[in-house]
Amino acid sequence: MRIRLLANAWLPLVLFLSAHSSLRAVDHNNVDAGRPLSFDDAEAIAFRERAAEIGTGGIYPKGGPAGLAFSTEFLYGFALNSHLSVDLDAAAGGRAGTPEKDFQVGKLGLGLFHNFNREYGNAPAFSIRGDVALPTEKGAKGVEIRLRGIASKALIQYDRLHLNLDGIVTTAPETGERRFRPGVVLGYSKPIGYPRSFIRTGVAEVSLQTPEQKGTGPVMSLGVGLRQQVTVRSLFDIGIRSDVLALDKAPHEDIQIIAGFSTSF
Amino acid sequence: MHSLTRFWVTLLMALGWAFSSLAQAQTEPLPKREGIPGREEAPGLNTLPPLPEDLPGWFNNKGKNHIFYKRGPYNFDIYNIKRLAYDLNAVAVGHSMAYEDMVTGKAAGLDTETFERINWVLNHPPKFMPDEANVSPTFGRKYGVLELVFDWTHILHAQTVDVLASTKLSEAEKDREIQALWKFYFESVPYAISPLPMNMAFLDGQPYSMAFRNKYPKVNGLFWGYHWLQGAMYDMLLSKTLPQQRMIYDVLGDRYHAIELYRTNRPFMPMFAETSPRFSEKYPYIANAFDNLHMLHDMVNDILASDWIPEPEKEKQILRAIWIASATAHQGERPGDVKEEGGLHDHRHMVGMPGMGMMKYATEDVMWMDNMGWMPTGDCHHCTMPLPEGEEAWKAPTVSAQGWTMRVRCPLCARDMAAETKGAVIFHIPTEDPLKPVVIISDEQGNLTTDNPGVLFLEEAASHRKCNRWSSAFSSRKAFEEYVATNPEFKDAKPLSFEEWAAVEVSGKKPDTYVKPEGPEGNPYDKAQDDETQAQKEEE
Repeated sequence: MRIRLLANAWLPLVLFLSAHSSLRAVDHNNVDAGRPLSFDDAEAIAFRERAAEIGTGGIYPKGGPAGLAFSTEFLYGFALNSHLSVDLDAAAGGRAGTPEKDFQVGKLGLGLFHNFNREYGNAPAFSIRGDVALPTEKGAKGVEIRLRGIASKALIQYDRLHLNLDGIVTTAPETGERRFRPGVVLGYSKPIGYPRSFIRTGVAEVSLQTPEQKGTGPVMSLGVGLRQQVTVRSLFDIGIRSDVLALDKAPHEDIQIIAGFSTSF
Repeated sequence: MHSLTRFWVTLLMALGWAFSSLAQAQTEPLPKREGIPGREEAPGLNTLPPLPEDLPGWFNNKGKNHIFYKRGPYNFDIYNIKRLAYDLNAVAVGHSMAYEDMVTGKAAGLDTETFERINWVLNHPPKFMPDEANVSPTFGRKYGVLELVFDWTHILHAQTVDVLASTKLSEAEKDREIQALWKFYFESVPYAISPLPMNMAFLDGQPYSMAFRNKYPKVNGLFWGYHWLQGAMYDMLLSKTLPQQRMIYDVLGDRYHAIELYRTNRPFMPMFAETSPRFSEKYPYIANAFDNLHMLHDMVNDILASDWIPEPEKEKQILRAIWIASATAHQGERPGDVKEEGGLHDHRHMVGMPGMGMMKYATEDVMWMDNMGWMPTGDCHHCTMPLPEGEEAWKAPTVSAQGWTMRVRCPLCARDMAAETKGAVIFHIPTEDPLKPVVIISDEQGNLTTDNPGVLFLEEAASHRKCNRWSSAFSSRKAFEEYVATNPEFKDAKPLSFEEWAAVEVSGKKPDTYVKPEGPEGNPYDKAQDDETQAQKEEE
């Protein structure tokens, strides 16, 4: 996982993946960061489940050439309501916030996700995930640590809201970069087609992230997407995001188009 | 305070307020349940049994606790029989839709709107199995532990079917894997369903029992219709080749969609041993667990449909129903044990059917079977001679017709019994090789076809006391000759080809050994049958 990229909405390469499974099938209604938007719901993958995900995306940064992002991730449910993840991403071409255009492999990410409770009565489901991005990319120093608190709650019946609160710490910020960056994402999910079709979920989000560069203001993004089951064990997802507001000259992207595939085994 | 920091603090406070308001808003009571006109007088609340004290901790579980299914090369092999796979996918939404409607104040529409919704899915089955939790989120928030119990046993259901439908495993491997799946199911969690036979009169004799089927007969008919399918498919799949399985499902699936889903006159839910006696005999612990699961579904339906029970008491009664059906409640008990006759710890089973608990109004020897009347459970349903048991049980042919599957003693009993029934019939006829049973289908006109035209029959009719010796099927000429050589009384017998055997005229007489079984005194079925016969006579 590449935390810096995730935290800054203008570089959405981070496609953290994770195929959430219900008990017998990959479940399109359990939403994970990166597939296709940036928010998580509060459910871990099943105990002993393995999941692999790949994703790619087109990036159209403001005032720069277009680029491509790639991601891959492996997850393992190592205990009840908990999973571990390992991920790696890469980018090529233009991207916001950096003059870099060459193909570049990103940081290696390690993550831990734990769900404290399912949603019951009026209590939301609560989870926490911690991620560490190791400095495996060329020239990188220090690590980035992100803690994300997640609460998922039914809105009416099938609609759900997912509040993600992020705190990101960079242990070795470069000159002019922030050491700590908060972020928040409010996600929404709803199965589409009920009660006649049971294979897809629509997702949407609004997020606010703090850019790395000091002196720049927060960036607000909007996104919509779709997760659709394509085989008994796999999902296809597609989404589009846009940084609709960037204060104080914060770098941002006009449009990001994301597509991915998740499978559990 | 820095402006960016102030921005974030304000934003987080606002989001916190909004999320807590959302939770608060949902504490408003759900819409009032609409009453159903015409319901019978309600029993008093004091008739409800108390919730057992000291329930295990998992009854208060608040975790999602999903466990991944057992890995194996057979997973999802039910898709080898696509039509059945899709039908099973559709089944996943039935109870979920009804549960969700019942806990969101829409119970009054169960036999109309909900029925139509479920029926549409059953007739337009999805290609992938829907997640029941997604279909009934409100129900899941309220009865999460129950959902956990259901889901876990549904996985066993799905995986055992996958094993049986697999073309990658040998019969021996399938047998081992089914046992391994049971172990995985039973030992991985504390909330497995009891594998013991349970007394059905007790389970269906609670103060709230039968409320659902009386109020919502059409939806209940759908539930029992697909419980019929979930039972009947096991014998269809057991010890069969894929072509045989497909051939049988062409018949079974037609019946499921045309008749079984829409029956509202069943006296009781379909039992596994009634619909898959061979599977139930071989894996009685699994058959019992599935029957107990289906009874738990019925008990929950009945509780939710009982308007006279207040909501908090419903929650308690549902926990009690889970407790009753759970393996935890019966630890240390064994099949056949009777701590209290007719009660929670009555684990007797019907004679010859270890995979079926004592039925309502039944004795251990005879039970009432829909469309058939009183039937002996340990004897041939045609000639009343004892059926093979234990290691020899596989030698009994079966006849499936009119929704039931019955074991008989020999191929002749199977053919004659089929001739007495209406509609399509499926025969399972074992040969000398347990791995080579013959499947025969009889159409509506009684024309027989088989997947194995090379099969040969011995039929030297005599008294039915020895019909299992003079009526047999063989997979080859060599096997026939070996049998004749070791049984000199048949040394002059000529093997019958399938066509010859199928063309033998049925005598129409009852076998010389036949004894008409009778039910216990005072049972309600005899009167119902007499009334029905009388009504038919008057109509004529």
